[in-house]
Amino acid sequence: MAKVIIYTTPSCVYCKSAKAFFAENNVAYEEKNVAEDLKARDEMVKKSGMMAVPVIDVAGTVVIGFDKQKLSELLGIKK
Amino acid sequence: MNFDLIIIGSGAAGLAAAMYAGRYKMKTVILEKEFGGETATAGKIENYPGILSIDGYDLVLRMKEHALHYGAEMQEGKAVKLSRDSNLISVETSKGEKYLGKTLILALGAQRRYLGLEREKELTGKGVHYCWTCDGPLFGGKTVAMVGGGDSSVKGVNFLAEYASKIYLIARGKEVVAEPVNFEQMKGLGRKVEIITENEIKEFVGKDKLEKIILKNPYKGSSELKLDGLFVEIGFDPNTELPSQLGIKLDDKGYIEVDNKMRTNVEGVFAAGDATSHFGSFKQDITAAALGAVAATSAYEYSKSH
Repeated sequence: MAKVIIYTTPSCVYCKSAKAFFAENNVAYEEKNVAEDLKARDEMVKKSGMMAVPVIDVAGTVVIGFDKQKLSELLGIKK
Repeated sequence: MNFDLIIIGSGAAGLAAAMYAGRYKMKTVILEKEFGGETATAGKIENYPGILSIDGYDLVLRMKEHALHYGAEMQEGKAVKLSRDSNLISVETSKGEKYLGKTLILALGAQRRYLGLEREKELTGKGVHYCWTCDGPLFGGKTVAMVGGGDSSVKGVNFLAEYASKIYLIARGKEVVAEPVNFEQMKGLGRKVEIITENEIKEFVGKDKLEKIILKNPYKGSSELKLDGLFVEIGFDPNTELPSQLGIKLDDKGYIEVDNKMRTNVEGVFAAGDATSHFGSFKQDITAAALGAVAATSAYEYSKSH
């Protein structure tokens, strides 16, 4: 399965929803808390051009925000 | 798919209605566009009875669990078309699915207001932000502004104070109106927070990200205010399109008109939560949940007699 990285802050509701979506669909992911991890924050800004979370990297394709439809397409999740 | 009750909206009002309807043994479906409504992004909730402090997202998760426990079903889908199909109410979603219900509760919530300034969209996520619980933690040690003079903006300032080094609260009115407990917490932050009243933003300035704003009226001798980030919390407007499709009466601000039983002017259709102005501008989780409970009870009474 594609490598998934999610950039989050602990209080971000869309990050929580995205992680719940991954859990429901058995998608393994790496989480980077950009409230604390400054290196990860730079990485996220470089990838997305934004100072906003969540940013989700699915095998090199960057998704800004919790876009369930786009994530489903990228991860091959059928409903 | 036929139901006793269709609920559009999965915020506090919709979930409370679903829990009550489930206990009334009504076959109920909740159509959710975005889970949790405004509650989910509200940060800490500290005025819901019985719970001293809880994150808004966790509170709506509990409400969802409670509703599902009593048999309500939850379906993803943005309702786009409402109509009457003989005695039933039909709800079509953007995915093309059709739900039929004996009764309908509109718990639509409301839509976030934007400032309507030039470059606002372009700079969104690049210094202009709407979800302070999401993006606030990215502004550690930075100078930020919160726009809005109500309770949510004050809560936002208190949240941002955990991270930012300086916060300007910009309000259009003469004063900031917030729950005293939240206002006092903000006052306790001392010089970290500066309140700018009777002022507005005229312009955003910055190349690839927000660098400063131009104020309508000078503040401390200057119209320019250098900022790393700005959060907009200026209230919500009701969703008027869906109710209009069924000929539901709206008030002059676009909120759904309801009586004390949360009945709209259309038979079998009820409304609850922030989509109504039943408690005026007092829009809380407890009021939304209460209105949801009343709407479900009325839908139950209606379905028994029809």
